[in-house]
Amino acid sequence: MLSKVCSFIIIAFILAISISDVSFAESASINSEKIGNIPQDERKSPDAWAKIFDSVHGFIETAYGPKFLGDKLTQKNDYNLLEQRLQLKVAYRPQKPAWLASWNPEFFYKGDLLSDEYKEILRYQTREGYGLVSPLSWMDAKLGRQILTWGTGDYLFINDVFPKDYESFFIGRDDEYLKAPSDAGKFSIYSQLVSVDVVVIPFFTPDVSIRGDRLSFYDNFLGRIAGKESSWIFTEPAVQFENTEIATRLYRNLGEYETAIYAFKGFFNQPVGIKNESAKEVFYPKLAVFGASIRGPAPSVGGIASGEIGYSDSLQDRSGENRLIENSGMKYLLGYERDFPKDWRIGMQYFVEQMLNFDEFKANSQPGDIPRDEFRQLLTFRITKLFWLQTLEASLFTFYSPTDSDAYIRPRLAWQANDRWKLTVGANIFFGKHDWTEFDQLEGNDNFYIRLRYSF
Amino acid sequence: MKKILAVSIIVFLLFVSGFWTKNVCAQDTQSGKTAMSDMLLAYYYPQTDAKSEISMRIVNRQGQVRERRLTMLRLNQTPGGDQSYYIYFHEPADVKGMSFLVLKHLGRDDDRWMYLPAIDLVKRIATSDKRTSFAGSDFTYEDVSGRALDEDAHELIGEEDLNIYHCLVVKSTPKRPDEAGFSYRKFWIDKATHLPLKVEHYNIKGKLYKVYETQDIQTLQDTPTITKATMKDLAGERYTEITMKEVSYNVGITSDIFQERLLRRPPRQWIGD
Repeated sequence: MLSKVCSFIIIAFILAISISDVSFAESASINSEKIGNIPQDERKSPDAWAKIFDSVHGFIETAYGPKFLGDKLTQKNDYNLLEQRLQLKVAYRPQKPAWLASWNPEFFYKGDLLSDEYKEILRYQTREGYGLVSPLSWMDAKLGRQILTWGTGDYLFINDVFPKDYESFFIGRDDEYLKAPSDAGKFSIYSQLVSVDVVVIPFFTPDVSIRGDRLSFYDNFLGRIAGKESSWIFTEPAVQFENTEIATRLYRNLGEYETAIYAFKGFFNQPVGIKNESAKEVFYPKLAVFGASIRGPAPSVGGIASGEIGYSDSLQDRSGENRLIENSGMKYLLGYERDFPKDWRIGMQYFVEQMLNFDEFKANSQPGDIPRDEFRQLLTFRITKLFWLQTLEASLFTFYSPTDSDAYIRPRLAWQANDRWKLTVGANIFFGKHDWTEFDQLEGNDNFYIRLRYSF
Repeated sequence: MKKILAVSIIVFLLFVSGFWTKNVCAQDTQSGKTAMSDMLLAYYYPQTDAKSEISMRIVNRQGQVRERRLTMLRLNQTPGGDQSYYIYFHEPADVKGMSFLVLKHLGRDDDRWMYLPAIDLVKRIATSDKRTSFAGSDFTYEDVSGRALDEDAHELIGEEDLNIYHCLVVKSTPKRPDEAGFSYRKFWIDKATHLPLKVEHYNIKGKLYKVYETQDIQTLQDTPTITKATMKDLAGERYTEITMKEVSYNVGITSDIFQERLLRRPPRQWIGD
């Protein structure tokens, strides 16, 4: 009932917007004709309102994602995506007081009102809400809720340690929702020699975990694919000074190549530590990551090549002997992308995840633990083609792991009907041999989705 | 008899001198290559830097219109050589805030980056194919940033008047037509301003398929500037109209700004809201 009411509110809003659009256009033309007769101050207020209205942007979107066949383990059996969303964003750049104006300040807010018919809730989320200033010509500070991204991977992350929302990714929401916001301060210093970003995250934000209510997954406590009956207890690090996460990036260009080194101290974003096996209590162990990346034109063949490497130091299990906590590891990524005539574009990545102290892992494993390889390999392939003067985009993204023997494909068609309406259809399809591998565990969640968006 | 002789000598001298003058022009100052070089400088390189607010109307066969509004910053690193570009999209709503950074190099592929604010992503873009449409319009990246002078052979094939303008007509033939994707282009270049007034694009089979036309030229800060132009796709029956709402030269853009920071923190002093 509630969600229906919300849908009506949202639909009413979109109608209001589209109608007011028209009336604005009309009143503008009337004004311009009569302009000579109207006193100065009478024209002011509609302009001021128009200006405020003009500075608010966003979209309204409806999405539906029926499941193919799938398992009957989750809250709803027939679909895993059914929602209406209203996103509003506004930027404000104050011109006074003078001391603040000299810092070139910018305040930005972006919020989503989501009527989620799957969870039968109406939810409001602040996606971004930050102030950005330049106290010095070579320094920026961005404080507040923000989306943070760095690194070279395409849907694969090594040194990008910031929170992700894989649930959104797997059910077919827009790519925007793969990144979850962080409450953080980002301080940037720029110079020709080297530029530095320091991100301070006082409030830990985990990835949006797959918990079985919307997507079924391999529950290692139950030893099988589980849905809503899965009942893990998640313990997040307490909000205290010593739990503040810090991520840094030093970067510079060497000719046409972009190079960067990264360091991070904080926590795993996934609950890869078990606190109490019988109580199914999991936690986010301490983590440090050190890495580097390079990106630039591929010599002689054309296109863009990239490489990234990272060492994950599992600080609470450095020896690898504790079977309840993820081991340290190395991650390696090679990427290549190039374009071809007629708006074709392809991208390929080769990703290797190496578990360190593998012998300790094997020696300490118990029956029922998820079997793992020392080297997990993953290949991705992206192909994109644009049609109709770039208004229709067809793309296919494939993950394939030869070591896990599983795969995940994401076909998508996005049609920009005009400057305001966009229709997207796609699918999320999982394959595999073993229930416990990253993609095969999601096999019961295969879906097809359709999204219709109106931007303003 | 003497008179006839004198007249014929004078006529002959006039004829010869006229011919001689014309010939000199064709070989030296107004050879195809010079005309094209002047055009490239006048069109792509005027002054040291420029800020332009650009509107694009993309009209398809059904008459449906899509609009783009963007701000472009340009800096010449060397006269007639490498350039840096920054492009910020204001409209339509779904691409608002998206920006591009392009470092144009003569002799090798450009470096190009795209910034997607919603996911704070700085993406490096492959640029092997310069014939890709620019922002979904009938202009290609190559039309927007120019082909290097040496990629084509330029031949002055005549002079013609377009409206009030006296034009040189230059035929430019790619040295590697398969790579270029067309067989030749014909330029009508205004003798006074060196700006292109019309460009005909001929496909590999030699058929005219795309026509560029300048609609309006204004002199801004002593610099003749094209403020309105169209590109027509004859087969697709589409066209794109490009309008420069505001152009300012020498606004003080420096080369050190063309870095990743520019994408993540748009320069509001130039691009406004």
